[in-house]
Amino acid sequence: MTGDIPALRLTGLSKSFGRPAVNGLDLVVRRGELYALLGPNGAGKTTTLRMVTGLLAPDAGHVEVLGVDLARDPAGAKRGMAYLPDDPLLYGKLKPTEYLEFVAGLWGIRAHDAEPRARHLLDWLDLTKHAHELTEGFSRGMKQKLALAGALIHEPELLILDEPLTGLDAAAARQVKDLLLSHVERGGTVILTTHILEVAERLAQRIGIIRQGRLIAEGTLAELRERTRGGSLEDVFLHLTEGSAG
Amino acid sequence: MSATPGSIRWLLGHELRLAWYGAAASGAGKEGKGGKPGRRRPGMLGIALGVAGYAALHLVAFALLRKLDEGAVPDTLLAMPLAILLAVCATFMLSSALKACVVALFERGDLDLLLSSPLPSRSIFAVRLLGIATTTALPYWFLAGPFANMGAAFGHPGWLGLYVAVGACAMLMACAGMLLTLALVRLLGARRTRVVAQVVGAIAGALIFLLSQAFNLTRHDGDVMPMLQALLSGSRWFGPDSVLWLPGRVILGAPGPLLGALLLAALAFALTVGRTHRFFVHGLQQAAGSARVRMRPAGAPRFRFRASLFDTVVIKEWRLIARDPHLIAQVLLQLVYLVPLFVLILRGDAAGPALAAGLTLLCSSLTGSLGWIVLSAEDAPDLLLSAPVPRRTLQLAKLAAAAMPPLLLVALPLLWLTVRAPVTGLLVAFTVTAAVLSAGLIVLWVGRPGLRSDFKARGKENFLCNMLELASSLCWGGLGWLLVALATQGDAWLWQASAGTLAAGLGILLLARLLRRRPM
Repeated sequence: MTGDIPALRLTGLSKSFGRPAVNGLDLVVRRGELYALLGPNGAGKTTTLRMVTGLLAPDAGHVEVLGVDLARDPAGAKRGMAYLPDDPLLYGKLKPTEYLEFVAGLWGIRAHDAEPRARHLLDWLDLTKHAHELTEGFSRGMKQKLALAGALIHEPELLILDEPLTGLDAAAARQVKDLLLSHVERGGTVILTTHILEVAERLAQRIGIIRQGRLIAEGTLAELRERTRGGSLEDVFLHLTEGSAG
Repeated sequence: MSATPGSIRWLLGHELRLAWYGAAASGAGKEGKGGKPGRRRPGMLGIALGVAGYAALHLVAFALLRKLDEGAVPDTLLAMPLAILLAVCATFMLSSALKACVVALFERGDLDLLLSSPLPSRSIFAVRLLGIATTTALPYWFLAGPFANMGAAFGHPGWLGLYVAVGACAMLMACAGMLLTLALVRLLGARRTRVVAQVVGAIAGALIFLLSQAFNLTRHDGDVMPMLQALLSGSRWFGPDSVLWLPGRVILGAPGPLLGALLLAALAFALTVGRTHRFFVHGLQQAAGSARVRMRPAGAPRFRFRASLFDTVVIKEWRLIARDPHLIAQVLLQLVYLVPLFVLILRGDAAGPALAAGLTLLCSSLTGSLGWIVLSAEDAPDLLLSAPVPRRTLQLAKLAAAAMPPLLLVALPLLWLTVRAPVTGLLVAFTVTAAVLSAGLIVLWVGRPGLRSDFKARGKENFLCNMLELASSLCWGGLGWLLVALATQGDAWLWQASAGTLAAGLGILLLARLLRRRPM
């Protein structure tokens, strides 16, 4: 019954770097939703995502991705997700085609499956005409789009993005937003962090706000508004995170 | 008296201040991954060491020149080796100037600010060229100046002409370097010029080694010196009064050549500034766009997906190395040390033990360098960590990517050696393989993450790894020497020495394993 199994379940997740960065975080993200994780700088968003993707070992707590315990079966948990940090994971001296070949190899995608997907992604993201160039000459937006293509080549069910729109121009940002919505429409799950509250307001079905490593509020935009009697998400966010480090 | 803001003197002061800070940064290392900033300017210790070194050079000069003074060598003869020495220095000055021009055009962030100010671009270019000439000349003034000073103290005030000779030579080389860089920008574009200049600059250093080995590699059957003497005395071109030795006479302070050198340098400076300052600005504009690559005509993208993860990783690593000419040049510089070895092999008079030690040391060193590039300087470690692949497979593939090129490189000489002397060949193959594996494993276990651009500074960044690599190389190289000596001479003590060296090599590997960095 995959329908009952959430895309992501965090239980008592903690990580400390001298002082607690994530402090007993409990979080459930349902399958097929776009979940925005918000918080001020230093709230523990990126640390949480890095623990979820297996890049950082938690001090305590459990991470369950699509029903698979990350600690027990890391390969099984990673197989169904993709991670896109704010600084794209690229190789400047590889061409987009070679980068996609490499990422497909890492996820063990067979050539006859990988090739049509790679062509489609390059086309969709307007990168086909740049397929023969080294990525070191790409703009920030092109790099972000190529990293997205890499993240999507193995058709992950869970897509995790850390500040995916930072530094993108309006056209590239629109393309990325469309891509995320399309992923959710096709049954996929998206978890993203962003400082652009309008993005969360317009895209996210549910929003979680963390402060000092703890989830302080969660719900739909309407629920959050009701709880704080605020107006826009910005008002809600500032009301809830008042007094935290900026 | 402080210079008027915006004047050439003021700008030159700014230029020299940046060079002074640059010297400190290169000594202290660049800002690393940890964000630890490099020192802003040389500290008191650095200055004290510099002063002590300068004083020590005066002592060396005193000792050498006292003997020379007793021999009373005539200036006409002394001018010959001095001219040759200046010519050799000129090639290194050209290399330094070329690198400085690349920095001025592509890497310094202050030119946009300067060119957007109301200062004339001619002044900016003139000062930059003066700065390049000065920083090019400084090391030579530092190293050779004490000889001129002591020469003056011994009653040869003309020897102070060395300062003029070095300065004029540096100015000529700075002009040549700037013209060459700008010509390359016009011919190849800014991106390729940068790469070409970096490679040329890296290779120039290796020339010192090859020059030092030139005498060893020539057969010494007694014909060379008489031939040289006949050439120098019999030919009009190489006689003591030849114009070829004029640079030597400048160093010795002959008034005419001294004035000539000054005029030549001034003329080169004036012509370079006058004729090329506009193109300098154009070169800068090209440099600003150098990150952009020319678009090829769009075609259907072609893919070559591989079935095995191992192949995928190895191919990716080799691609990344093959597309970084600057990195390749730095790694391949180590191959320069192979040249004398290969000459000895081809001449057939190589001593077996020396050959075994040399090949083993070289392979170990190459594997250490490549291992650092593929294991420690991974561009996207998070991508690999977030992938559902066993860490062991990735590490194995990366080790193979680092070990295969050195092994392939020595495969042919080893085969040739094995055909000629089977036991020696097999013993060398064993020590080479052990050295390659050890070097790779040491980097894997105690290597620290770094940036590819910090390749040259990797030893300073991770002293432990560097020392373990060095000790391991020496052990396996020593074992190669001992085993081949044992096979050919059979002395009893060689057994014990071989066993001890083998134990030391394995012990270093064990120590590296014990000190390994814990994976995340």
